[in-house]
Order: sequence, then structure tokens, then C-alpha cells
Amino acid sequence: MEAPPDPALLAAASAPAPAPLRAPEVARLRQEQEKVVTGCRERIQHWQQVEDDYSALQERLGTLPDKLSYSVMVPFGPFAFMPGKLVHTNEVTVLLGDNWFAKCSAKQAVGLVEHRKGHVRKTIDDLKKVMTNFESRVEFTEDLQKMSDAAGDIVDIREEIKSDFEFKAKHRIAHKPHSKPKTSNSFEADFANVESKDVLADRELWARLEELERQEELLGELESQPPTVIANGEDTASSEEEKEDASTRVNGRVNGHVNGTHPAAEATAPSCRPADDTVAELLHGPSCAVNGSRCPLSDEDEDGDDDDALGPEASSVPTIYFSHTVEPKRVRINTGKNTTLKFSEKKEEAKRKRRNSCGGHPAPELPTIRTPADIYRVFVDLVNGAYVPRKSILKSRSRENSVCSDTSEGSAECEERRGLLRSVSCEDALGSDAGESILEEEQEQEPLPEALSPAPGTLEAFSGTVIEKELSPCLAPHPATVHPVLPTIPERREVPSEGSEVTKRVSKFKAARLQQRT
Amino acid sequence: MPAREARPEDGAGRAAPGREDLSSRIKEQKIVVDELSNLKKNRKVYRQQQNSNIFFLADRTELLSESKNILDELKKEYQEIENSEKTKTKK
Repeated sequence: MEAPPDPALLAAASAPAPAPLRAPEVARLRQEQEKVVTGCRERIQHWQQVEDDYSALQERLGTLPDKLSYSVMVPFGPFAFMPGKLVHTNEVTVLLGDNWFAKCSAKQAVGLVEHRKGHVRKTIDDLKKVMTNFESRVEFTEDLQKMSDAAGDIVDIREEIKSDFEFKAKHRIAHKPHSKPKTSNSFEADFANVESKDVLADRELWARLEELERQEELLGELESQPPTVIANGEDTASSEEEKEDASTRVNGRVNGHVNGTHPAAEATAPSCRPADDTVAELLHGPSCAVNGSRCPLSDEDEDGDDDDALGPEASSVPTIYFSHTVEPKRVRINTGKNTTLKFSEKKEEAKRKRRNSCGGHPAPELPTIRTPADIYRVFVDLVNGAYVPRKSILKSRSRENSVCSDTSEGSAECEERRGLLRSVSCEDALGSDAGESILEEEQEQEPLPEALSPAPGTLEAFSGTVIEKELSPCLAPHPATVHPVLPTIPERREVPSEGSEVTKRVSKFKAARLQQRT
Repeated sequence: MPAREARPEDGAGRAAPGREDLSSRIKEQKIVVDELSNLKKNRKVYRQQQNSNIFFLADRTELLSESKNILDELKKEYQEIENSEKTKTKK
């Protein structure tokens, strides 16, 4: 009931590592427990008196109707009395609470009193239970005190969990294999010598695991390339890269298979388990919003990317770095009229790397995009030497113009391509199944590792044109919702960038790119 | 003359009555008995209803005998406690 927080008292006196059991605190604990016991006793006494009163009342009510009237001393105020008569001996007005009364006979009143007595008995029982419970606690505390006084080597063991790890996912500590939940620490103080030894052994184990983990991380830092930076709140400038690297590496390890061009996975497979787990868990941390969504799909994607992007920059120890400022991998934007765009930053990143192709030199010109407005600010078309802001993707355009921004082409070119792509799209639609969009993106990636070259000079949010489906009674741009058999609608144009569009436009991208070059 | 009737003691549910507590109650009972026995015959004796301010008329002789019984019981209890304590101290 009213129990003071006993364990809190003990845990309040925090001392790092084993410390001698503090006598004053134990004494105080005992005091508090005794307080509870005495309080309980008093309350029990009070309630017992109430029960007695009710019993007496019951007795009186039982005999009250026996006589027509009783001569009584009627109280006049608190001190004066007046002789009088009690009449209507069977009519009893009972207070039900909240100034409500019930007029009933003596027998009914007896029943009411009995009911109330039941409540009182229950209260008394509860209080007694509490009292016995706390009496036993007092006993135990006494014993503990005696023991600690007698034997000096009983220590109060506390393990303060420090998160030495350089990520923000502190709330996920419990998922790590080596970290214990914090509640367990308070239990350690309750045990005697024998158990303290076991705890010490456990703590050593945990310490050892932590050491190994730190070593791993250090190795990862040393051996990884410059772009792979420890991510802990770092900006989005390199977050994409990190994320990609991180995700690829995690993938390599989480899924257990080793990438051909990804020696990192091999290196880590046999090595430390705890690091592995923690790394996997790191990934599931703050960026879980991203990773979780793409975890099941990440296989194919990142394989493709691995081949393409990470060939040159293979690090021996895979490490997971991630930051909280994670952008969504795919942004599906409904551009109206059943058009959706997919912007995959990862693919874009891969493309950039291929472009740079000199070993993972990070694109310094990557702008920090935080809002959709940034996209329009950053990504502008270079039309005839002038910067033309792209039209908002949320605004639906006429048939001739793509809703999504083109890379570097005006609308005129888009039309050209559209004509070309029309035929191509038909083939594609037939050829490609309504499988996962990611799968098809992968297909897009792998056969065209070098084909993904956006227009020179400009940063592109979307490196290709966007196919907008204007009138599409049967076909939706998203492959999942489309019947594979139906051909794509001629109006549609593709974005030949990395994974920005529906998978059916795989070969259309190729065509578009080819067209661009020619 | 109104006389107040002591409440019936319920020693079972409470903690073991201390010796002092018992001795004080014995004293009270003694007074009650003395007072009742010292009343004139025409006096009315009222008994207080427990936990309230109302007094019911009671029969004097009955009350007297009742009070005497209670006193005897209390005395017995006291004796028992004293005996048990003596045996403890002896041991």
C-alpha cells in the first residue's frame, strides 16, 4: 500500500564498482521499514475499533424493535443531556454516504451493518498482510546488517552501464548482447558472498566483450577509407555514403553471404561475434526507419551496388556507421494522375561514385537537402546556359511536359525521347514482370553500370526524365499495381536515373541514355 | 445518575494487552463496580451506545453483576500474564 521505495534507498547511494555495504543506509532502510510496520499496526488498531463499533451497533439494532420505546438520555449538543424516549424503534435511517439516507427497518439496517463489517475486515486483512510482509523485510535487513558488520567482505556491487558507443541509440542498449538491463544491478546487492563472486565473473565477461567490441571499432576506423566516417550526428553530406556503405556492409554480414567484391564481409564473418551483433543492432537503431523499410529488399539492391560502387573501395573490416539524419531511401511522390516517382538516394550515390570512379572520393558538391524545398533550390536545370528551376513535381503538367524534372533537357527533348521510348516501353512492359520494383532496379543497375551518366555539370535529383502517365485507364506506373501483360501507356516517359522510376522502364532508361549520348 | 459502561474488551484481535494497559483497565472496572454498588435504589443507570452520544436506560442490578464479571475476567487475565512472566524470568 504505502510502501516506501526500499530498493531505491539502497540504490541511491551509488558507488562505482564494488563498494562496502554502507551501514547507515542499511540502518535507514530498516527504519523506513519499521515505520511502515508501525503505521500498519496503528491502522489495524483503528479499523478493529471500527469493527467493534459496528458489532455493538448490530447488537443494539437486533434488540431495538423488542420494545416500543426506550427511555434514553438524549444528547443536547456535546455536553448536555435530557431524558427522553426513543420511539419508532423499527425505523432506522441509515447514512449511505454523500448525505444520502435510507429509511429501513432494524433488520435491514443489521444487514447493512454486516456488509460494512465485511469491508472493514477486508481492509484489516490487507493491512495485516502488508505488516507481515514488512516485518519479514525488517528481519532480512537486520540480518543483512549483522552479516555486513560481521563479515567485512560483503560488498555492494553495482554496475554502472556506460554507453561508450558512438551512436545515439542509447535507448537500444538492451538489444546489445553484452549489456544487461539496469534493473538487474539492484538485485546484486541482496545476495551474499557466494553470489557476489558469480556477479564479478559475469562482469568480467561483459567487460571483455566490450573491449573486443572497441577493438573492432578501432580496426574499422583505421582500415576504412576516408568517406566512411564514424557517424554520430554527422551531417547528411556524407550520410548517404555512409549509409550506403553501412547498409552494404551490414547486409554482407547480416545475410551471411559474402560478396565477391566485398572482402569486408569475409573478414568479419569469422571475427568477433559481439561486434557483429552490435553492428547489426546498430543498424537497427535510430535509422531503423530507413533500414527497416528496406531490409528485406536490400539484398538485391546492395548487391548490385556493391558490384558497382564498392568495387574500388573495399575495406577489410566492415563497420556500420550511421547517423540520425537519415533520408529516406525511396521517396515515392504522387505527382497526380497516378504517377509516382521513386527517388533513391542510394542509387544516386552509386551513380555518383561510378562517375567519380576514383575510389570513393566523396562528392563534395552534395548539397544538404532537408526539405522538399531544398530539392527545388538545389536541382536546377541548365538550359542553354541558364539556370531554369524545375517545375514542382507535385504539379501535374500537360501531356507534353514531364511532371518530374528532367535532368538537363528541355521539354522538347523529352518529347523526342518519349517517341522513342514509347516503343521501348512496350517491350519492357511485356518483358518485365510486375515484380518488386527494387528487383527491376537492380536489373537496371547491373547491366548498365556505366550507362548511368547524368548530364554533366549539374547535380541531379533525378538524372533522367520522368515518365508521366497521363491517361492510364489500365496501367499504373507502379509495377506492383500493374498487369504485366498490358503495355505501358505511350505518354509515359522514364527517368533513367537510379531507381527513380518504375521497374518497367529499365530498358527505356538505356534507350534514353543512349539517346542522350547520341 | 448516569453511569458509563466500559466497552467490552476484545483482546484477541489486538496485540497482546500490555500489563500496564491491563492494570489500568482493571482499575477502571473497579471504580465502575464500586460506583454501581454505591448507588441508591431509585437511580437510573444508563449505558452509552458505543461510539455515540446516546444513552440507553439499563437495569442497575444487571449492570452491577455484569461489571463485576468483567472485573473478574480482567483480573484473571492479569494474573495469567503475571504468572507467565514470572515463569519466563525464572527460566
